[in-house]
Amino acid sequence: MQLFPAPQRAGNLLKANSISVQIFLEKRVNTSSRGRVLVLASALLLVLLISWFFFLAVGIEPLAAYKIIGEEIFLTKYGWQDLLVKMTPLMFTGLAVALAAQMRLWNIGAEGQFHMGTFAMTWVALHYDGQLPDGMLIVIMFIMAMIGGGLWGSIPGCLKARFGVNEIITSLLLNYVAAAWIDHLLFGAWRDPGSNNFPITKEFSEAAQLPAFGNTSIHAGLILAVIFVVIVAWILWKTQLGFKIRLTGDNPDAARYAGVNIRTLTILVFAASGAIAGLAGFSEVAGIHYRLQQNISIGYGYTGIIVAWLARNHPLGIVLSAFFMSIVFVSAEVLQIEYGLPISMVYLYQGIILFTVLGSDIFTEYRLRFTRFLL
Amino acid sequence: MEFFIQILFAAVVMGTPLLYATLGGVISERAGVINLGMEGLMLVGALVAFVVMLNTGSYFYAVAAAAFASGIVSMIHGVVCLMLRASQIASGLALTFFGTGLSGLFGDKLMGETVEPLSRIPIPGLHAIPVLGPVLFNQDALVYFSYICVALSWWMLFKTRLGLNIRSMGEAPEVCDSLGLSVLGYRFFAVIVGGMFIGIGGAYFPLALTPFWVDGITAGRGWIAVALVIFAFWDPVKALGGAYLFGFALALELRLQILGVEMSPYFLKMLPFVLTILVLTLVTIRNNRRGIQVMPAALGTVFFRGEKH
Repeated sequence: MQLFPAPQRAGNLLKANSISVQIFLEKRVNTSSRGRVLVLASALLLVLLISWFFFLAVGIEPLAAYKIIGEEIFLTKYGWQDLLVKMTPLMFTGLAVALAAQMRLWNIGAEGQFHMGTFAMTWVALHYDGQLPDGMLIVIMFIMAMIGGGLWGSIPGCLKARFGVNEIITSLLLNYVAAAWIDHLLFGAWRDPGSNNFPITKEFSEAAQLPAFGNTSIHAGLILAVIFVVIVAWILWKTQLGFKIRLTGDNPDAARYAGVNIRTLTILVFAASGAIAGLAGFSEVAGIHYRLQQNISIGYGYTGIIVAWLARNHPLGIVLSAFFMSIVFVSAEVLQIEYGLPISMVYLYQGIILFTVLGSDIFTEYRLRFTRFLL
Repeated sequence: MEFFIQILFAAVVMGTPLLYATLGGVISERAGVINLGMEGLMLVGALVAFVVMLNTGSYFYAVAAAAFASGIVSMIHGVVCLMLRASQIASGLALTFFGTGLSGLFGDKLMGETVEPLSRIPIPGLHAIPVLGPVLFNQDALVYFSYICVALSWWMLFKTRLGLNIRSMGEAPEVCDSLGLSVLGYRFFAVIVGGMFIGIGGAYFPLALTPFWVDGITAGRGWIAVALVIFAFWDPVKALGGAYLFGFALALELRLQILGVEMSPYFLKMLPFVLTILVLTLVTIRNNRRGIQVMPAALGTVFFRGEKH
């Protein structure tokens, strides 16, 4: 297998004493998981290397920057706390994307489903506070967030299942619609009269807040996220439904012959995916902000795509990759505080990470071979 | 009547960046490479155009630099999905992240800066035609250039050997390969040229639409362009119609507010996106019903010599 299409012309990279070296890509006979980890690790090392040049480009001493990031994140209590807090929504959104991806569906609308989840739960919190028995409010908010995100997610699912509309485009476009809907409420009916015209709702009562651990800002959402990871893993590998999902993902034709109703399954998976993304919104609003406001999601929904990709759509891998992407988020925060770099740098890094991981994937299945021959 | 002409004029203005981006998408997808990174590429184009405009004051340099920069950035997409065989969809998304981050990072210091927007140049003779004149021929230079680009890319794709080869790459790369054509070369060419068009589309935002810098200046138009490529049936001329139709929806958003229509501005903001979803659905239904297969057959596939597909 050749990296260059015409090796006779392009492959003669080294010529010495008429010995020619050609670079080939040879398919690996078996791909080991150790190889995968190695490739992934070197891809992430490459990211560090790229960011080295990037730091130099914006005039920051790279070693000092790495040192500050490392100290702020791993050596302080606040750093660890922030890692776990940021990791929570990423686990939900990553799981949402991964579940759909198990069926080869692209749900890149987790951002919008996140927002519609926050919309539905806030509606309950604002209108039914104090009218429900103890402990019921938060449960209903939880369910509503799933319904809100789920219904929003089922729109691209239905369009895909019924008409075959490209779910990538529809699910993404709905993000913009959901964001405008939240703005409409925040600048209109839901704005807290006592907020000095800030686009925020009034703070939820304690009955609508998730409990936190001790004095930290780590909240019960983290446990919920872990539970959902386990549930999704169990469904995917231990139930018939999960088998159908994976079968359809691997081979839709085989699934159809086996009697899987792909249309219904598409809608179901998209709705479930949306519901999980909606829970990310629930855990952020009920666990941290206690009110609906702008910028609750700093791109958590989009980051879910990378979290899922890094985890190879495996629910358990998502815990690790969400933790990793959380490091990226918190690093960006540290850089913002220390060097005044804008937080949108996160997106740049996500792009670089996704590019390097995508580009390195080939080396898990192929190996570079240098063949030497006499001309 | 005056109002009607104004709205059509605005439709062309708002449609122009969409048109450039759609043209870029058409060229790239005709060669079989999906580019979901349009939003990111447009942002890169917008950023570079704005910075160059600030520093040189020349529209020509600004547009050229935007095209050049987007071409370079789209090369990353080319390397990752053509040479390293990654998923074109994932690579396109990475491109969106990358462009959004780049424009956010370097645009941060540009907030508050302004540039002089492109001036309108009435074309002698043509601009006096009733309705069509003021709508189409009293525009700025980039709009006129977009007409030329539509004609040129249509001619290139359908009337030249280069275009035939590009289109063949999107239909049957393995056949092209066996004929001795370089699949990698043609696809790379299409991705870069497409990326340059998308960058010019992005450049139109700071140079004409909003002559100051705001974060996320393209506001999701890149994604509308992704849908427009499908809506235009991968045809540059139809892209013209599609872009102006959506330009009309975007123009309506502004005009209705001025007219004092009682409607939340946020609903008007949703309008183009909802419209895109509706149109995309209708087009898909139509194609299914008539059994039309206009999509390039090898779109999104990885081609590698000597491997089964």
